[in-house]
Amino acid sequence: MEIIPLSQPTLRNQLRALYVIARKDWKVFWRYPLNAVSNIFQPIIWITPVYFMGKAFSTNGQALGFAAYSGTSDYMSFILLGTVLTNFILTVFWGMGYALKNDMDAGVLESNWLTPVPRLLILVGRTLSSLLVTAITSAIMLLIAGALFGFQPTGNTLAAFLTAIPMLIGLYGFGFAFAAAVLLMREANTLVDVSSFLVQGFSGTNFPVKSLPTWLIPIALILPLTYGLDAVRGLLLKSETLLPIPVEIGILIVFMFGMLWFGAWVFQRVERRVRTLGTLGQH
Amino acid sequence: MADFAIEAKQLIKKFPARPGTGDKGADASPAPRRRLFAKKKPKAMFTAVNGVDLQIERGEIFGLLGPNGAGKSTTIRMLCTLLEPTSGTAQVNGFDIVKQANDVRRSLGTVLAGERSIYWKLTGRENLEYFAALYHIPAEIAKKRVEELIERMEIKDRSNELVEKYSTGMRQRIAIAKALLARPPILLLDEPTLGLDPQAARRVRELIAELKQEGHTILLTTHYMEEADLLSDRIGIIDAGKVIALDTPEGLKRRIDQQEVIRLELTGWHDDLADKLRSISGIQNLTTRQQGEADLWEVNLHAQNSRLALPRIVESISGNGTRLVNMNIVKPSLEDVFIHLTGKALRD
Amino acid sequence: METSLTGSLAKPGFRSDLRALFTVMWREWIIFTRYPSWIIAMFIWPLIFPMLYILTARALAGPDGRGMAVFMETTGATDFIGYIVIGTTVWMWQNIVLWDVGFSLRNEQMRGTLESNWLSPTWRFSYLLGHTGPQFITMLMFITITAIEFGLLFGIRLNGSIWMILLMMLAAVPSIYGLGFAFASLVITVKEANAFVFLIRGLVMIFCGITFPISLLPDWMQSIAKWLPQTYLIHGMRAAAFSKAGIGELAPDFIPLLLFGTCWLVVGYFTFLWMERRARRTGAIGQY
Repeated sequence: MEIIPLSQPTLRNQLRALYVIARKDWKVFWRYPLNAVSNIFQPIIWITPVYFMGKAFSTNGQALGFAAYSGTSDYMSFILLGTVLTNFILTVFWGMGYALKNDMDAGVLESNWLTPVPRLLILVGRTLSSLLVTAITSAIMLLIAGALFGFQPTGNTLAAFLTAIPMLIGLYGFGFAFAAAVLLMREANTLVDVSSFLVQGFSGTNFPVKSLPTWLIPIALILPLTYGLDAVRGLLLKSETLLPIPVEIGILIVFMFGMLWFGAWVFQRVERRVRTLGTLGQH
Repeated sequence: MADFAIEAKQLIKKFPARPGTGDKGADASPAPRRRLFAKKKPKAMFTAVNGVDLQIERGEIFGLLGPNGAGKSTTIRMLCTLLEPTSGTAQVNGFDIVKQANDVRRSLGTVLAGERSIYWKLTGRENLEYFAALYHIPAEIAKKRVEELIERMEIKDRSNELVEKYSTGMRQRIAIAKALLARPPILLLDEPTLGLDPQAARRVRELIAELKQEGHTILLTTHYMEEADLLSDRIGIIDAGKVIALDTPEGLKRRIDQQEVIRLELTGWHDDLADKLRSISGIQNLTTRQQGEADLWEVNLHAQNSRLALPRIVESISGNGTRLVNMNIVKPSLEDVFIHLTGKALRD
Repeated sequence: METSLTGSLAKPGFRSDLRALFTVMWREWIIFTRYPSWIIAMFIWPLIFPMLYILTARALAGPDGRGMAVFMETTGATDFIGYIVIGTTVWMWQNIVLWDVGFSLRNEQMRGTLESNWLSPTWRFSYLLGHTGPQFITMLMFITITAIEFGLLFGIRLNGSIWMILLMMLAAVPSIYGLGFAFASLVITVKEANAFVFLIRGLVMIFCGITFPISLLPDWMQSIAKWLPQTYLIHGMRAAAFSKAGIGELAPDFIPLLLFGTCWLVVGYFTFLWMERRARRTGAIGQY
């Protein structure tokens, strides 16, 4: 009798699985072009009130109060950069949890998980095409918003880009832990809405964290994202940073390793627990 | 005006055809978004009901029988005023279904989509109290009737639990109770036993028989032959949007009295055999059905004269790996009537 | 027996329709209380949503508050938190109404209960109107919680009359809910109408001055803002809250609101009738 060889978990095979997952998501996304339009315009709509509010605070077009906190009076560039980074943060942070929830609702989670591809890898695969989509839509958003509100980066783009990388990788760890929470709670919306608002608020997407009320500043300082946003802005807009930029980058790298380890550990524990309880297929 | 409970003349209903789906299939894909960009195409129309005539007497149970997608539900939905016919007219309790829609609604108790038609986050009692008000029943009377119906439907001890905790059979009984709240002279029951376990289905059938005794006219749709046979005074067989036969169950069966039904059970069925059997003179209809998972097939043949046909049937079957397991000559059932009329089996 | 059944048809009338309407409200309220997760939303959202704009405003004010003086002068507000909270609350009000009232019929359509309601001889607009009652009560709770949270945590002090603020809100009810009615009817026949919610709330966010006076908008944007009732509501509430405006001073906001309200109620009602007719032809009520 012929023996059918088992598929081998080589790196090549894993990468191919990753690619296939990402390509599927990519295709699905572009089937709904209104989604892309919405991704581009939603952030612009949300910061429009800030733009005009900024004018109400400005004398002769100069946001002097803002400059006193951040070292730059160009508050729109500051906020737009924050918005772009937030797009990426949300993609990684929530993308895996959402994808998991969608698969659960559609009932395809079990069939995906029956394949020999490591589950964390499936989750990562789900974010790859979103990252590309986010890059495209953010670039278009930045172009449009730049034309509407003005966007003047003056610093080193490459350095800023490189700084963002450890932050994003560290966020994957966060994302694993969040996906684990979704597995347990089978609900994502409220959790996502509330915490993404909090993260956006406290890591300083729209404003320098120094301007927070004193009692809230410690919360901002605990969040590694704060340093990521701060360092990228410091490099690109030459705004004042909380700590010297190399120190902030150091924090991001420590965060990256710490979070990856922690997230993977939590996810694997939860996944084993779910397997014991047998609640994977329910919803 | 002849006093029929329901009278329909040449009812026709056409829908704009939806791509991919012939009938009310769930359209899960969010594709319509793309309509914003797509050009308008000329609308293809799909005819769900194609000239239905019905005259239902007061006090009878009328069964509308047909396979899924034959137009049963569309007919019922027109009669209960949810849909407007493309052409044709109908009167329910003497009221026109288009011009006097609200009077029609007052005359009808309708059970559509059974358990989905009530609120799962309300208790059984709350559901009935709610619908009583919608049917304009004064509060004091409503209270009494809800109590009676809860008693009658045997859900008294669970009437204060949320419907989501009920069994499908209990939910169906609440849906029927809802239809009875206003004591309407006419009841429309669309597939009232669909999805029920045999015991719950029997309970519902008993209830329907009781309701007739109390004077309700009942229009019942079903695709269960036995149910229609058991309950109905008269049966209309509907196929492809048309009533193709209308008679008492006995009358319908008598139509093919001259015919005999030969039922074969065999293993090793293949499609060539069908052509062979059909070519035998005197054989009119042939249907096959696989018995479960195994390679065991039930084959029904309608023959003018079984004595003449039998030897040739046996001859055709022998060999080619086919083996005859059992053979009977049976009395025609309603299902055979249906096969006789449409040339196809009711349940596919 | 036969005659007793035929003779017992319920009599339609204003009273029984009114009772049906109240029963719809009763049902809606009971179902609402059986989904406990709303409590969290009710307390968290009023606080979180305005917060982002308030914190940004603090940053714009600067450590020594020099921007704040400019802001007070431009806006005439005595309290910047109150100024922003009024704007964001109006936005949330419209947003919640679009989701709640706007999807009320759609949700029933998906659950399957819309057909069974439709089968009864009740005046069908009751289903929409009945949904609005409990929604309005929860919205009042929402706004009260907003006021209490910001009053306690941030010590907002308004020097105007609370009654005038309420009067402005009352004047806006027809516009906000009329829009909800129109939307609710549209969603039944036009699937995937979510895009419409994003459009409406986007317009309110961009044009109605939820965090700024609309005088700062370029002229062409101001002329669009004039066609949105929410602009008048926000302006009127702020005037009532900060400058002790009396009924006379509020009239320029009050009267357009009532006019818009009349229009939107009429549009809402006729959209509903249009949907009802269309659904009878296409069978949309029973589809999901």
